[in-house]
Amino acid sequence: MNAIVQNKHLFKDKVVLDVGCGTAILSMFAVKAGAKHVIGVDMSTIILKAREIVKVNGMEDKITLIQGKMEEIELPFPKVDIIISEWMGYFLLYESMLDTVLYARDKYLVKDGLIFPDKATIFVAGIEDGDYKDEKIGFWDNVYGFNYSPLKETALSEPLVDTVEIKAVVTDPTSVLTLDLHTCTTADLAFSCPFDLTVRRDDFIHALVAWFDIDFTACHKPVRFSTGPHTKYTHWKQTVFYLKDVLTVQQGENVECSLHNRPNEKNKRDLDIKIEYRLETDDPTRQAGGQCLYKMC
Amino acid sequence: MAEKDPHNDLSDVSSSSDEEEWLDADREEDDEQETVAVISLLDDRVFPDALSMIAHCKDKYGLDFLGVRDRLQLDFYGTIKLINYIRQRVHEGATVSETDITTETLEDDRYLKPVLDDDALILCLDDLPEPKGAADAALSMMGDAIALPVGGGIGSGESALATEAPGVDTLLQKNAELQAELEQLSKQFGNYRLAVQQTLDQRWQADDVADDASPAAAGKDGTVAAGEVKKDDSEYYFESYAHNDIHEVMLKDAVRTNAYRDFIYENKHLFAGKVVLDIGCGTGILSMFCARAGAKQVIAVDNSDILNKARENIFNNGLSDVITCVKGKIEEVILPVKKVDIIVSEWMGYCLLYEAMLPSILYARDRYLEPETGLLVPSHASIWIAPLSDSDYVSDHITYWRDVYGFDFKAMQDGIYADTRPQIMPASAICGTPSAFRFLDLHTVTVEDLVFEAKWQSTLSDNVEALDGFIVWFDMFFATSRSDKTIEPTVTAQEWAASSPDHISFTTGPFGTETHWKQGVLLLDRTKVKEFETAPGKKIAGEITYATADNHARGLTLKVAWGSEEQEKQVQTWKLH
Repeated sequence: MNAIVQNKHLFKDKVVLDVGCGTAILSMFAVKAGAKHVIGVDMSTIILKAREIVKVNGMEDKITLIQGKMEEIELPFPKVDIIISEWMGYFLLYESMLDTVLYARDKYLVKDGLIFPDKATIFVAGIEDGDYKDEKIGFWDNVYGFNYSPLKETALSEPLVDTVEIKAVVTDPTSVLTLDLHTCTTADLAFSCPFDLTVRRDDFIHALVAWFDIDFTACHKPVRFSTGPHTKYTHWKQTVFYLKDVLTVQQGENVECSLHNRPNEKNKRDLDIKIEYRLETDDPTRQAGGQCLYKMC
Repeated sequence: MAEKDPHNDLSDVSSSSDEEEWLDADREEDDEQETVAVISLLDDRVFPDALSMIAHCKDKYGLDFLGVRDRLQLDFYGTIKLINYIRQRVHEGATVSETDITTETLEDDRYLKPVLDDDALILCLDDLPEPKGAADAALSMMGDAIALPVGGGIGSGESALATEAPGVDTLLQKNAELQAELEQLSKQFGNYRLAVQQTLDQRWQADDVADDASPAAAGKDGTVAAGEVKKDDSEYYFESYAHNDIHEVMLKDAVRTNAYRDFIYENKHLFAGKVVLDIGCGTGILSMFCARAGAKQVIAVDNSDILNKARENIFNNGLSDVITCVKGKIEEVILPVKKVDIIVSEWMGYCLLYEAMLPSILYARDRYLEPETGLLVPSHASIWIAPLSDSDYVSDHITYWRDVYGFDFKAMQDGIYADTRPQIMPASAICGTPSAFRFLDLHTVTVEDLVFEAKWQSTLSDNVEALDGFIVWFDMFFATSRSDKTIEPTVTAQEWAASSPDHISFTTGPFGTETHWKQGVLLLDRTKVKEFETAPGKKIAGEITYATADNHARGLTLKVAWGSEEQEKQVQTWKLH
């Protein structure tokens, strides 16, 4: 919102495309910022509500709302100056509309056109999460006196979308993916990234947590927001990947990790994620390593 | 169920009940290319084939599986019994020693029942090498047969023949014995085969399959069968129960699960030696409670894929010999018993009747429950309504849309009054005495009783403000006898539980611990109904109607009428789906 209303000079007299417009709130911000015309596109029937909302707010001559798939519809303008979109999903990429935004970029955006937002970065850190891991994963070890381990395996393979407190974070965060929306392609959504997590205090690591930051670099004064544990709550929360092992770590040590992500072959909005981890120490009792497979679906 | 290769499709379908692996075993011959995971007889290790597993058991534990088989001259079924005998012993934590295994130990037919579901070892029995002493065994068999007294069930003509040609006679006799044995075994699994056949027919909804009575033949052409699958219109309903989350929510709802557990564990005398049917068993928790309470047999039925997990859970807890899992709709599956002593089920939905699962319970009650003595767990339910006043809730969920970041979003308010909203409400939101408008004795209630109009009334409380709507919830009761008379139609779950330490009940209302059922919130549509003039102590009364939703089989439509002596009656309808 700030990125749009604080940058009237960028929006003035421009043609704007709002990809996945929902209730058209961003489209209306763009009009308020001085856009010549805004095209809002959404597949959902929410567009009917958006039309009513746009009308009662007196903007129906400035905003054209189209229901349909970006790939199938025809826009009233051959090119647009700016694309705005709130396409991010959990773990940035889960059920995200990024592929649609990229399609719109390639087809409609003028050369040197702007994208709001235009940069996204995924971060990962190690967390101490014993209590919650017990509650979510350990729960299946003893369900009213019964062994429920088959459901434990399923629970381990499902990343958990939840809020993590900053004090649970045990390592420095490190980025595993940076997307520049002006240049990236759908192929970049499948990625592998080796990384090291530097331990900041003596503690245990039960899980890795992932979040993302979003940048609007086109702004006069760059606007950025984060969905991390250090900042205020967003509906994206964070994504927690529980490890099979509990790592016992000491300050200054490194956990060597790698993260591999790719869209599921059958359903490309689902994600298959693999995390490998290895803790090398002189203390053989704390040596640990392994890999975990996750499925976000 | 679509888009699978034929073999998978087949094994999926035939996983419907424990016994169906038998059919799989027959079909497996056609499909030896498949990769298998053979679980070791004596530990947790997994092997790609039976021989390496057998070698492992011989090397590490000194158990010569093939040796035992050959020593006892076990045939196909005998070998299966041997496998299940060993697995059962290991499962019970008992030791297995070669010398303990004799023909007598394996006589019990219960060892024909697989201990492990989809036991790969059983499935690839045909791949094992022929018995070493096959020829010797055949000879000694003949020797035994010669020693047998001639005659018995065999006709006199044949015995005359026998004296002339003993070799032929003994072979004939042996043949007759084997045939009798085969017939007996076929009979033992007849019920299950029938069940499999019907399940397959229903799955594929293909009348032409029904003409061909052999399920194996029907299954041969999996691709065609898969193409004929018709999506049940409520399939989404069963699919929605296939994932962990929903079961975690239900299991962690301690009000719910504890009530069932406490009732079952504190009334073991009711369950000991009984046959129990668990409808919609989910992860199998209620079935396992019943098994632990001493039930002789528990049949756990669910139409969701979660049943596969239930099987694993039941096996891991050593209860597979008591609990039989059956996949399918209760109206369509064939149970291995004619009657059951107890039906246990957690069928309740929002506002009690959402999801429309109760008709299935009543169907099973009428078809399977012992008519005079059978018990339903739980046994009674009551549904309650109370007037609601909560200005915070209204401003958070309705007034909010008037100004969203400076824009008018009132268009989003459409329909906000049309739906029953499942929400946990604080007791302070209730602004009048609750009214029990419907009481169901589950032993006698009929499906027709589930669509009804009932009267309700309330006296507004002293601190009443505006009437914003109504709250609906339900109480559940667990009687130990179908003739219990202590559960009055207007008693609350809390009152009844307090009247005796033996009484188990729970409420989903705002005066109790919150449950995953929350409460049903019905908000008055301010744009359509006139404001109800409230005053402390004022009487408000009317009717409430429960009906099924027009276009949604498992949905629910609630209609409430309200008024007072001074104010004319008004009506509003809410849907839930």
